[in-house]
Amino acid sequence: MKKAIIFGYTKTGKEIAKLLNDDEFELEIIDENPLQVANANAEGYFARHISLDDDKIFEDIGIGGDVEALFCTSDDDSLNLFVTLTARNIDKDLKILTQIKKMEDEKKMLLAGANRTISPHSVGAAKIFRIIKKPRVSKVLDIFTRIDNKISITELTVDEGSLYDGMYFSSVDLSQTYNLIFLGLLDKKNDDEFVFFSKAIRHKIKAGDLMVMLGSRKDIKKFKMELSKKI
Amino acid sequence: MFAKLFISFAYFLDSNDRYKKIKSFIYDLLENPRSNIKTYFDFLIITLIFLSVAILIYDISHPTPFYFEFIENITVSVFIFEWLGRFWISADLGSMIIKYHEKMIELDQKPKFFKILKIILKQKLSYIFSPMSIIDLLAILPTYRAARVLRVFLIFRLFKIFRYTKSLNSFLRVLSDKKFEFNFLFLIGLFAIFLSSTIMYVVEGTGNNPHITSYLDAIYWSIITITTVGYGDITPVTLTGKVITVFLVGGGFLILVLATSIVTNALSEKIEILRENKLLTEAHKLSRLIVIFGFGRMGQVLADELKKNHKRFIVVDKDPASMAKARELGYLYMQADASNYDTIESLVFENDVEKVILLTQSDALNLSILLTIKAHDKNIEVIARSNSYANIKKFKIAKANHIVFPYETVAEVAVEYIGNPVKFDVIDNILIQDSDITLDGIDILEGSSFVGKCIDDLGLDDLNITTIAVLKNGNIRHFVFNPSHSEYEFEANDTLIVIGKEVYINRIGNEIRRQFA
Repeated sequence: MKKAIIFGYTKTGKEIAKLLNDDEFELEIIDENPLQVANANAEGYFARHISLDDDKIFEDIGIGGDVEALFCTSDDDSLNLFVTLTARNIDKDLKILTQIKKMEDEKKMLLAGANRTISPHSVGAAKIFRIIKKPRVSKVLDIFTRIDNKISITELTVDEGSLYDGMYFSSVDLSQTYNLIFLGLLDKKNDDEFVFFSKAIRHKIKAGDLMVMLGSRKDIKKFKMELSKKI
Repeated sequence: MFAKLFISFAYFLDSNDRYKKIKSFIYDLLENPRSNIKTYFDFLIITLIFLSVAILIYDISHPTPFYFEFIENITVSVFIFEWLGRFWISADLGSMIIKYHEKMIELDQKPKFFKILKIILKQKLSYIFSPMSIIDLLAILPTYRAARVLRVFLIFRLFKIFRYTKSLNSFLRVLSDKKFEFNFLFLIGLFAIFLSSTIMYVVEGTGNNPHITSYLDAIYWSIITITTVGYGDITPVTLTGKVITVFLVGGGFLILVLATSIVTNALSEKIEILRENKLLTEAHKLSRLIVIFGFGRMGQVLADELKKNHKRFIVVDKDPASMAKARELGYLYMQADASNYDTIESLVFENDVEKVILLTQSDALNLSILLTIKAHDKNIEVIARSNSYANIKKFKIAKANHIVFPYETVAEVAVEYIGNPVKFDVIDNILIQDSDITLDGIDILEGSSFVGKCIDDLGLDDLNITTIAVLKNGNIRHFVFNPSHSEYEFEANDTLIVIGKEVYINRIGNEIRRQFA
């Protein structure tokens, strides 16, 4: 099981915890505000209070060890920066995702070692903008949210030597065999660019890419087994 | 008997579409601030005003060519038409009479002719004696030959311009706010003039100053001096007169300085409001306007996107700092408290609004604006931001068309980043990256040739359109995920949900619609 840490049980932190709270991730919440820690504990998460002046505590939590991902979601950009910097110092390969409140802080966060920054303001604004610009899309999306979580979207890594390594988009057909819809892939070598299936039929899948697909959990699990088989 | 005639005539007009059409056209032409033709008509009137005044000036020392008469006649006809038009639309008498009639029916009384006449006279007379109407009449009057002496009144036409210049009007309104200060200064000035002219008359009106022969001369001297004009045609000759003059000049200077500072003060206090009024009028003229309440960080990002895409919007916030930012960026803005009904009324109800977006930090305020809007008109589309998870439900109850909870969206993007299966919503976030590709629905209309065919027949694969699902009868409860391309047969009113290039999806949609053209 992978381990993920959320720093800051804020509104964003809370929502991430909700989405992660399943059998795939072991979740731990840290916060320097005891009130938030108590909140998180009351809501059934494993949370602990940390003080930021001691680097040792980060190692105690498991950063540099088995922790795979760190979400810095404190409401204070400077605290996020501090935690990002400290964690990056300890573990070079840790996935760090940091929330920023001010867009000006993005560069700073990336310099400090965050893999990606995310701002509730710009994400929210982008969402509203799409509702305005493409009202039909939002309507369709509304339909899917109402259908709920039965169908979800998944990214699966293509390993070297896998069946799909080197395959063209046009020969991928998951819909018949696996009841999955192949949307496209995240090109790892190309700056995480998302290549839509609908747009690049002659695109070649390479090892390391992330295939993005849509389907029920059961079908996805089946496909995951298939994907990990080597030729 | 007469009352009956009036009432049935009112009912007749009320049901006559053509009458209403003409009336609303006249309203558009003369009064409706949002109509386009009013701009042209205003321009015509202003041109005519200047033309006729120019003719008046030319007239004085030149012989008048015959066509001037012609222009004058046209001008006056237009003015008369304008006045009559305004007189006509100044009050909706028909509906008033009908209302009165209905009230009388309720009270079980007979409608009285006298009462109806009173309604008519009251409404129309109040229009005739309104300041604007009087100015209009004065502009028409001098044309009548009998009243040729009144030619100088032609200059009143210039006053007509007041009607067409909002800024001048608001300037006068600003000054009238300082009524108390001006009255005070005026009284002091009056007192100084009275005092100095009396002393002057007493001291120099006795014959030692040949220029001061009457009390009126003394007053004239006093006014010329106190206003610091000082023509010098009447000058003091005695020592007392000179001393008085020095004090009068000093006092006049003080009054002038004070008056100037009052005007500047009033203007600097009100300039923000004046500017906003201007912006608001600008907003009135726009169609399909988007109103954004709350210009915080999220509002700023959104406004930036909208601006890039040439959407028309106005931002509202009560925080002066954020509104200063909006001004800097050149947006339409209004600094106002959105919890105030008037703000919402002037921004949303009086404009042609396409969408309202609520982005304030407070859910209570967002909800209150939402409810105010929905209570007035259910059809205005509102997108609301919820700041807390618990409040999403309340927004739903209040019938927000879309609810955005930014923290959840952020969490989805975050979790997607580390590769965890999440809600379908995330596709939304992927779509941000590529504007070419879209998720959309294709309606299989009843009676189209696609009914009874399967996905392969539509040629979706050739266009690289990925089919995701079919909503049977457009109903989300009958939902077929990943339908078989060769087996699923379309039924009438199915909605096909697809991902693909926008142009291709539109092409299919158009193909279906064309079958009904």
